[in-house]
Amino acid sequence: MITAQGLYFSYTNSPPYALAGIELSINAGEYISVVGDNGSGKSTLMRLILGLLRPTRGTVETRAERIGYVPQRSDYARRDFPLTVGEMLRSYARIIKADAKAETAGVLALTGMQGHERSLVGDLSGGESQRTRLARALIGSPELLIFDEPSTGIDRGSQEEIYGLLRRLNRERGITIVSVEHNLTAAMANSTLIYHLHGGHGHSCTPEQYAEEFLKPGLKS
Amino acid sequence: MQNALAVSLIIAVLCPCIGVFLVLRRYAMIGDTLSHASLAGIAISLSVGGTPLVGAFLFTAACGALIEYLRAHIKNADLVLSVVLALCVGAAVTIMSTGRLGVSVEGFMFGSILTVTRGDTLLALGLCVASVVTLIALYDRLLFIAYDEEAAQIAGVRVRLFNYVFSILTAAAVSVAIRIVGVLVLSSMIALPVAAALQLGRGFKATLAFSVIFSVIDIMAGLFLSYYLNVAPGGFTALVSVAVLFIVIIGKNIVKAVKRGKQ
Repeated sequence: MITAQGLYFSYTNSPPYALAGIELSINAGEYISVVGDNGSGKSTLMRLILGLLRPTRGTVETRAERIGYVPQRSDYARRDFPLTVGEMLRSYARIIKADAKAETAGVLALTGMQGHERSLVGDLSGGESQRTRLARALIGSPELLIFDEPSTGIDRGSQEEIYGLLRRLNRERGITIVSVEHNLTAAMANSTLIYHLHGGHGHSCTPEQYAEEFLKPGLKS
Repeated sequence: MQNALAVSLIIAVLCPCIGVFLVLRRYAMIGDTLSHASLAGIAISLSVGGTPLVGAFLFTAACGALIEYLRAHIKNADLVLSVVLALCVGAAVTIMSTGRLGVSVEGFMFGSILTVTRGDTLLALGLCVASVVTLIALYDRLLFIAYDEEAAQIAGVRVRLFNYVFSILTAAAVSVAIRIVGVLVLSSMIALPVAAALQLGRGFKATLAFSVIFSVIDIMAGLFLSYYLNVAPGGFTALVSVAVLFIVIIGKNIVKAVKRGKQ
């Protein structure tokens, strides 16, 4: 579903590269967590996959008719924006030419956000806000869901709900999930594949291989 | 006075419809820059014997497009507006200093009811209808560009194209409004009714509707009171807008206090 070959990216179009020589292959139905330190190029890689950035060298190809994207929560902090959850979802549905009423009801039920249709997006708690953003990304039944840091800024209970939902979407609906992760415990528990980025270079491995190579004994389970 | 009333109502509807998107994109001061573009357009038009409103619209639309173009090269939005403002003020002052305009531009600076003709009213109505129809057609896309430009782009919205279209709509609103409220206070007509509506804490459509209601109150009260007080309508309308905003803020706090008292 996603292939990157000899992918280089620099924000200045010249060295140093934020990503250098990335080789990546993600098959349909995978749940891949992209992990690495701050500044390792995780979000840059997501933006390249989404087509928001163009490679400096090499190629990245995404074969999905519909992509759902949940950006990082900090990127999204528009608490003063006068918009209800229902308005946001229906508007997005109309843009992608989906059935606004049916899709809105469907994704609200799926994410457990029924009853919040008239709430202002700025009045939601961290967990509700994250579920609303996931609801928006699920409009139009995407084959690929890209989630930039699902657990950032939300409490443990909400994190469990979000990850439970992501697992169900992946296993029951076959949605391919690419998740940028800081939460290594969640990455180990949910992923079928880990993509580890370090200093702009990356490699794929299974969660078990990743645990053997990088994790302290306490996190290996 | 009939023409002035008609154009005032047109402005009262058009300015907040555009203003709500500008304010939410934190781009409210574009109104100030484009009102000066409008003045330069009027000066150019008068210097060649053209219709002021047409000159204002064309030059303002060009400056709106220039702002969008520069945004791709200069990331600091304030700096972009400063560059275009310098161009507009420079062009307007240079042309006015030649003494070839034949008429006073004071009416455009401060707003004047007497300068509105029937032709201006019809042109303003045409621009308003075209703008409102375009806004309705592009509503969802413009809303999402304002809310989350990246998500809009991923959903397939051609963000740059719609930004250009929106800058033309803004130009239309500014060119129409400059006759009544004048260059110096035009940005207040774009931002203040929206600021008052935002105090009510409603959804987008309700905020838009209240922005239009406050705008109608501001402009109509400003127009009638300035007529009887024999002062410039633009300046007085801005004062009424500020007063309405404060009344809404105070009213909101009273309602909050009453609710807290009941609990």
